[in-house]
This record gives sequence, C-alpha cells and structure tokens, in this order.
Amino acid sequence: MLKKLKQSKIKFITILSSLFLALFISVPIICIVTHTTLSALITSILSEEIQFAIRLSLGTAAISTIMCIAISIPAAYALARYDFFGKSFVNTTLDAPLALPPLVAGVSLLILFGTTSFGKALADAGLVLVFTPLGIIIAQFFVNVPFMLRILRGTFQGINPRYEHVAETLGCTKAQAFWRVTLPMSKNGFLAGSIITWSKGIGEFGAALMLAGATRMKTETLPISVFLNMSCNELNLAIAAATILIIISLISLFVFERYGGFTRVF
Amino acid sequence: MIRIENLSKDLGEFFLRDVSLEINDGEYFMVLGPTGAGKTILLETIAGIYHADSGRIFLDEQDITDIPPRERNIGMVYQDYTLFPFLTVEENIGFGLKTRKVTKREIKRRVEELANLMGVSQLLHRYPGTLSGGEQQRTAIARALIMEPKVLLLDEPLSALDTQTAERLRQELKNIHSITNTTIIHVTHSFEEAFLLGSRMAVMNKGEIVQVGTPNDVFRKPESEFVAEFLGVGNLFQGKSRVDNGIACIDVGDINIVSATLKSGSVHVSIRPEDILVSTKQIVSSARNSFKGKIASIVDAGTTLKIAVDVGIDNPFIVAITKQSFDELNLKTGGEVYITFKASAVHVF
Ligand SMILES: Nc1ncnc2c1ncn2[C@@H]1O[C@H](COP(=O)(O)OP(=O)(O)OP(=O)(O)O)[C@@H](O)[C@H]1O
Ligand SMILES: [Mg+2]
Repeated sequence: MLKKLKQSKIKFITILSSLFLALFISVPIICIVTHTTLSALITSILSEEIQFAIRLSLGTAAISTIMCIAISIPAAYALARYDFFGKSFVNTTLDAPLALPPLVAGVSLLILFGTTSFGKALADAGLVLVFTPLGIIIAQFFVNVPFMLRILRGTFQGINPRYEHVAETLGCTKAQAFWRVTLPMSKNGFLAGSIITWSKGIGEFGAALMLAGATRMKTETLPISVFLNMSCNELNLAIAAATILIIISLISLFVFERYGGFTRVF
Repeated sequence: MIRIENLSKDLGEFFLRDVSLEINDGEYFMVLGPTGAGKTILLETIAGIYHADSGRIFLDEQDITDIPPRERNIGMVYQDYTLFPFLTVEENIGFGLKTRKVTKREIKRRVEELANLMGVSQLLHRYPGTLSGGEQQRTAIARALIMEPKVLLLDEPLSALDTQTAERLRQELKNIHSITNTTIIHVTHSFEEAFLLGSRMAVMNKGEIVQVGTPNDVFRKPESEFVAEFLGVGNLFQGKSRVDNGIACIDVGDINIVSATLKSGSVHVSIRPEDILVSTKQIVSSARNSFKGKIASIVDAGTTLKIAVDVGIDNPFIVAITKQSFDELNLKTGGEVYITFKASAVHVF
C-alpha cells in the first residue's frame, strides 16, 4: 500500500515536471503570436520591409543549403567509405562550427574576409562578403555545413557498399554506381539534411550579424529584422518577423520528425 | 575457363592467401568453408570489387586482374540479395542493360524472358521490400543473368531460405545451369548442397583453399583434419530408395538401409558416426537398422575412437565410440561386431 503510494508519488512528480516544461516552452511562443491583433499582424507581414526580409531569408538559406549539399556529398562520402591519413582530424575540424558560438564564427569570418589579403583579393575579384547579402550566405554555410555533413555521412555509412559493388558488376562505373544507386538510397538523408540546414539558415543570426551587418532593406533577414525592429521599438514588425520564423521552424520540425529518425547524428 | 593463380589480398584483419583455382567452362563449382573463411572476399576479388595485391586472374586466357568489374562480364549475387529497394522487380532486373546501349523495347523483352526463366513474372511491378526471401533471390539471380555473364558468382544463395524453398530453388539452379551453360561458382556452408550441385568443389579455411576435388573425393579422402572435421558426416552412401508403408528402404549395394525420411528414387544417405551403436552380440531393440561386420581399422580421434566396420559393401561404416566403451567391449581389428542405428538417424538427400 505504502509502496504503491510512493510509486504514484514519483509518477505524479515526474509527469508534473514534464507538463511544466511543455508549458514553459509553449507559453512564450503563444505570447508572441497573440501579442498583437490579427489584422495588425497581417498588415505588418505585407509591409515592404518584412516582405523583403522574407525573400532575403528564404533566398539566402536556399542558396547556402545548395552549397552545403554540393560540398557535403563528396566530403561525406569520403568520410563514410574511405580510410585516409588525417581522417579523424578532418572529422573533428568539421564539427568545430557546431560547438563554436555563431557570433564568434562571424567574427572570425569577418577577420578573414575583411582584413586579410585573401579577403581583399576576393573583394577585388568582385566577391564582396563584408556587409553584403553574399556574406549572409557564407555565414549560414559556415555554421550549417556540419549538420548537412553529419547527416549525409550517417546516411552513406548506413548504406551497404555491396549495393554499389553489385551495380559495378552490372556495368556501372564507380561514379554511375553512386549516382544510380547510392544517391536514390540516400533520399531521406538529403531531405532531412536540407530541411535542417535550410531552416537553421533562415534562423541564423549571430554569424550573419557579424559578417553581413544589420542594414535595413539590405542585409535584413528575418532574424535581423526582429533585432532591428525591437531596437527601434517597432514591436509589430518585430512580431511579424518572429511569427514567420516560428511558422517555418514548426513546419521543418514536423517534416523532420516525419522523415527523419536521424537523432543519432547529433 | 577461369584460372586463378596465387591470388593474395590483405584486408588488414584478414588475408586471402595464395589462392589458386582452375574452373572449366560450364562447370558448376562449389566453394565450401566455415563462416569467416573468406568465401565472400574470394568472390568479390574474382568479380573485381577488390583488387588483388598479388597473383593473376584469367578469364578465357585473358588477364582480367587489372580490369574493373564492369568490363569483366562476371555476375555476382550476394548472400543478402542487395536488390535496389527503390526500384521495382522489373527495373532491378533491367538495371544492367541500361548501362549498355539497348533499346527500351529490347530491355523489356529481355526482362520478361529472364523473369519467366526465374519464375518472377507476376512480381514485375512489385518493390523488393514486399517480396519473400525466395522471390528476392530469384530476382537477384535474374538481374545478374540478364547480362549473360561468362561466370556467375552465387554467394550462399540458399542459406537464408527455408528448407522447402531452398530445395526448389536448388533444383532450379541446376536447370538454369543446364539451360544457360554459364560457369557458376557457388559458395555454401552446406556439404549437401555441394554434393547435389557441384561437379567439383573447393574447401576454404582462414583465407586459404585447403582442398579441391569432386565432392565424392573430398568427402572420402579429406586431406586434412580440418576438412574431415568440417564435413563431419562420416558415413555417406548412394543408393535407390523405395517408399513403402510409411518407411523408406534404400538399397546401397548389398544391404538395405531403412530411413524415416520419405524420399524415393536415386538418393544419398548419411549417418553420423556418433549415431551408430556397436556391440559384440546382436541386440534386440527398436532400431530398424542392424548389420553384422568386421572391424577394419581403429583410429584414435582425441576424445573418441573412430572404428571402421566392414559390412561387405564398398565403403565401411565409421562408428565413433568413447574410449571407455572401447575398453569394456574389448574390441580388436578383425573382430566381429554388430552395428545398430535408428531409422531416424539416417539422413537422406
Ligand atoms: N573490407 C574488409 N576489410 C577487412 N576485413 C574484412 C572486409 N570484409 C570482410 N572482412 C573480414 O574478412 C573475413 C572473411 O570474410 P568473408 O565475408 O569473406 O567470410 P565468408 O567466408 O563469406 O563468411 P560467411 O560464411 O559468414 O559469409 C571476416 O573475418 C571479415 O570480418
Ligand atoms: Mg560470406
């Protein structure tokens, strides 16, 4: 009897703490969305500034995601399939941006592209990264590429190389075997990786702020817009930008849960 | 003809050591060995997936050692089928022809032909995930055969299947071999399979080929302790079986062996040496097989003794007994004994 009571006490306390946690997370989010009236929200979303921020965010995140995919495919494949000298060094280095505070990543990018002769050479060649939308893309790429890499590496590792071997005996070159067999088998990994990278790209603030700055209607992505408008007390605009960020992250969370199963990657 | 000369491959924890083999055109060649012996790696090296560290491989007198897999014209079927999960059975079978310059219509025709041969015509629109093991195996074989390979490598094609399916597919492999006359190298754990399919076989252990010969030879004259131990059957006879009254009676020469396995026609019979009783007087028991014979030889096999008992047919019966019983029975070479075993101990295949 006593034992049962004790057990139910533990049950009660643990369930209560999980409910409390859920409440603590959902209430602030609901607060943002319900802070203004619906019509004010819609007006703000339709304003030129927020429209610009939406387009800039979606665009830069899409481009940086494509860049992440393009470089991660070969790199992840090598890390999954081959043993080579310095492999563990490469693995550790590629994980570094995960641990680095984005703000610090942004500062280091700013120093690289803004002060070194390498950065100057790039700028002379027309690739101006400092305080431009291009810088946003590079910042997103730098911070997010480890996610894509880890997901694809895990995906490739999960595919038995014998599939490629069979394809080779069926007349494929190594490249064809990869293209015709491994890539289609990695579909879910690509989907999960793209969604994570893209939605993290949209939310990227620290690194982009340092490298690309916060210039209204120039490098104003959605998070930067929240920041700028909060600073100048334009609460409605800030909330509009924040609401869109919430919607995007909820959608990507849903898609990720649905097609993911990639928790082991982190 | 495929000729392998002193093939070696170092994979770190595993070595393929100095493998030499000659397999004739149209031969059905079996490779037997315990798990981890390197059978799969041997096949993969023949297919060109691993490049040999030393040694040469010749296919029809052409040196293919340095040729990539796609140009070797050697088909490979892995033990876990490795069908492409995102393609239908039809697309799986046709996969290889797409890399060759073959028209869509021709691919379709060939796929149907192979699907017919392998008995998977009704499954063409299905995805591999929904197929049974046997159906997957048939599809995988069809996918390899459509390339008309000079050599077909089969990695334990029957071991993941239930007995009935395995038996049916084994029969079909035999048919396919006689229809296509493709040279087949077939890897297995099962001596029975080797006996029923192979014209010759090789036994592998720890990355080395330890014996090559016809199944009969290898079985009768194991050249090493390992081979004898691995094959481990001991008594093997060939004969004609008649099923009568719920029992099979197998004529293996001058004697009839009774078995509980109801299979008629031309069969092989095996009895494990441990399942045979030896006695100095005839014993009355429920066991259906009892023969009188002479002890031809006595061999010390460690914990047991192996006694060869000549009952007047070509090959003596091998009986395993403990040293204690041996002493108690006071057995001697040339001595007269009775051997007895139950019908259920007689394995027929
Ligand atoms: N790429 C590889 N690198 C290093 N070792 C390997 C590699 N592939 C297989 N091995 C090892 O080589 C040994 C032989 O493997 P193999 O797959 O050829 O055995 P097998 O005879 O086919 O066994 P089974 O009957 O279980 O299939 C195993 O110990 C395996 O772990
Ligand atoms: Mg194997």
